[in-house]
Amino acid sequence: MKRIHVIEDLCNGCRLCQSFCSSLSEGVFSEYARIQVMKAAGEERDTPVVKCSGDCVRPIYKNEIPTCVAVCPTGALFYAEPQEAEEARREWENARRQHSLFKVIAPWKWPLPWKKQQEEAA
Amino acid sequence: MKNRSNDTQILLRVNLSTGAVSREELPRDWTRLYLGARGVNSRLLFNEVPAGIDPWGDQNVLYIGTGPMDGLPVGNSRISIACKSPRGSVAEGSGGGFFGPELRRAGYDYLAIHGKAERPVYLYICDETVEIRDASHLWGLTTDKTDAALRSEICDPNFQFRYIGPAGENCVHASVIMGNLNNSAGRAGCGEVMGSKKLKAIAVRGTGGIRVANYAAFLDAYKEYRSRLDLTTSRDPWTPVWSVYGAPVLARLFTDMGSLMTFNAREMSWGRDKTARISAEVFLDDYVTKAKACFNCPWTACQKQYEIPKGKYKGFKGGNYWAGQPVVFGSSIDNDDLDLLLVISGLCNQYGLDIFHVGFTLSWAMECFENGLLTKADTDGLELRFGCPDPDGLVDLMRKIACKEGFGALLAMGSWEASKVVGRGAERFSLSIKGQELEAITERNNYMVALGVAVSEVGPDHTRWYPPYPCNPNLISKEELHELGVDLDLRKAFQGRNPEEKGKLLRWFSISRAIVESMPGCVFLVRDTLGLDLRPWWKLFGSATGLEMAYPDFVRAGERVFNLERAFNVREGFSRADDRPPIRMATEDVPHFGYPKLSPEVFEPMLDEYYEANGWSKTTSVPTAGKLAELEMSDVTVALQKAGVEVEP
Repeated sequence: MKRIHVIEDLCNGCRLCQSFCSSLSEGVFSEYARIQVMKAAGEERDTPVVKCSGDCVRPIYKNEIPTCVAVCPTGALFYAEPQEAEEARREWENARRQHSLFKVIAPWKWPLPWKKQQEEAA
Repeated sequence: MKNRSNDTQILLRVNLSTGAVSREELPRDWTRLYLGARGVNSRLLFNEVPAGIDPWGDQNVLYIGTGPMDGLPVGNSRISIACKSPRGSVAEGSGGGFFGPELRRAGYDYLAIHGKAERPVYLYICDETVEIRDASHLWGLTTDKTDAALRSEICDPNFQFRYIGPAGENCVHASVIMGNLNNSAGRAGCGEVMGSKKLKAIAVRGTGGIRVANYAAFLDAYKEYRSRLDLTTSRDPWTPVWSVYGAPVLARLFTDMGSLMTFNAREMSWGRDKTARISAEVFLDDYVTKAKACFNCPWTACQKQYEIPKGKYKGFKGGNYWAGQPVVFGSSIDNDDLDLLLVISGLCNQYGLDIFHVGFTLSWAMECFENGLLTKADTDGLELRFGCPDPDGLVDLMRKIACKEGFGALLAMGSWEASKVVGRGAERFSLSIKGQELEAITERNNYMVALGVAVSEVGPDHTRWYPPYPCNPNLISKEELHELGVDLDLRKAFQGRNPEEKGKLLRWFSISRAIVESMPGCVFLVRDTLGLDLRPWWKLFGSATGLEMAYPDFVRAGERVFNLERAFNVREGFSRADDRPPIRMATEDVPHFGYPKLSPEVFEPMLDEYYEANGWSKTTSVPTAGKLAELEMSDVTVALQKAGVEVEP
């Protein structure tokens, strides 16, 4: 069954997921949501805690992706079957070993095909 | 705490002298007239801070403002901080982080801090509870220690803070107000004013929510806004690069273009090798531990946490590497050691110092030292040369500046004031306008920039008119410009060394940034159409507040904001003579690149064009009565005349 997966190391702590989730039922933006981003003191970690099966009240982008996943800017949240989630995690770990920019963004969010261009040139 | 709508704007007044706290509602049409944040702050400042008061006295007021977009997932929920600067002008700065939404959720949009406390205090706000608490135990602590101490004292991880470091406490020229460890605001003097009030910190927590007027319309407007900023759909090809690497990518570009201030702007190129050693790429590869963002930012990683991995400073932690640091702590003082650069910059955050102030005052001192105007006897034995031969002395100097100790006391004054002490023509090395240090930005091959920093009301501040780099006029078509009523030749306006059209373009940039900072939003979020097309913001504002405004009225609100700031300045005695480039830019050519100096023949016509486009007097830079009446601000004309300012009809 599909559910929302989190790569904690990619979360930049912006709380877009939390804001939008809180607004879906009544149009009020607050911190009360099914996803909570916990911040550690010293700004060292941001940890999204998901209390939701991915069954969105009202996905704002009409593509059956939960709202929180659709608005996440870094790709730290994704909605997948357990098998796909494993693969996605592996893809990110491989990408991170190859290029430092994947410390801060997931490969499925980065638009510039830097690798492909290098391969073609080679 | 109850949820609140966007109908009302609540001001919380705190008087530190008497301990009185009061709440009041601001006039309802202020949302239409001044939008919020910077706009409302400038109105409050003009109305409540009379001309000629002592900026250090208890008549000066520190305003912290949020806007209708704070707490909503738009524009990063910034705050605007304003007061009268110790240099006499408006001091206004905006800062990111998480403070703004928390303040609005607590039920307040604006904070006005009057008076002066006798002992150090901090302000505690948790929904309806507002307390002035003792801060004697926090006084003297650096910002990171203050943050930790407040967190352990309050024991609620959801509290947000704004605090000053030792620099603000000691009233160092150009100290800043910090938050979230690394988000600074108010370099024009807000930190020192907060310090003079003996206010160490503000802690805020709100548990409410913010209701938008029309949720469906807001979502539609958000989708349009987001598609313009998304890495895959933005019109601007630089969006992905900026949102992942951040602004320091400019350093390498600038050194090739002859735009990188080197040796205190004596030269404008540093060479590719040295620039590569402090580049954004090296920073991301070896130093970054984690991406950070302001509240609800759609960009990926423009802020970053770093830790120095090896060497003498191993284990030093800090945050953020912007466009400024590679210049002020890199090329300008000729330091190509990224470790040292990040340590100095991290210490600035810890002491609450402004990086531009410290950087350009250091490079001024280095040039004075090399020219014999300062000697080792003046610098407490420090070998203050370009190339930083004594890095440990430099690191210690940061503490000395913040504590005004020994040689640090001279640098704490800023290069302009300090050159008056040193004398013998030291002011020709000072890169400052209106007594405040310049920003890391080129002037002699980009006249738009030269004009922009010169006329900025708060002293040199690129965020008030910031043209997105690299300048690309293709981001918006002629048809769109026509539709928006922007009547100028963008191609000509973007030619670096052509003085034509600069004044007109600067007027549009000033309007657009005034609107965005009054929402409030981040200047990075207007890259896609150079910020000239503000219709997505207009739609967001309309759906969030329920105010139906025509687009030209929305634009006029932005114009009101900087006209008010200009009116405040002319009432304090500023005039056309203060809108000048630094002496070096006006008298020396750029070596190797053939860019000539900014002579009066080049600069004066641009200034004329800007004043004329704004409807200001060309001789005094005072807004004309006709212009102020058009902006529905005839009361400003009356106030100016009462203060003895000559207002042309």
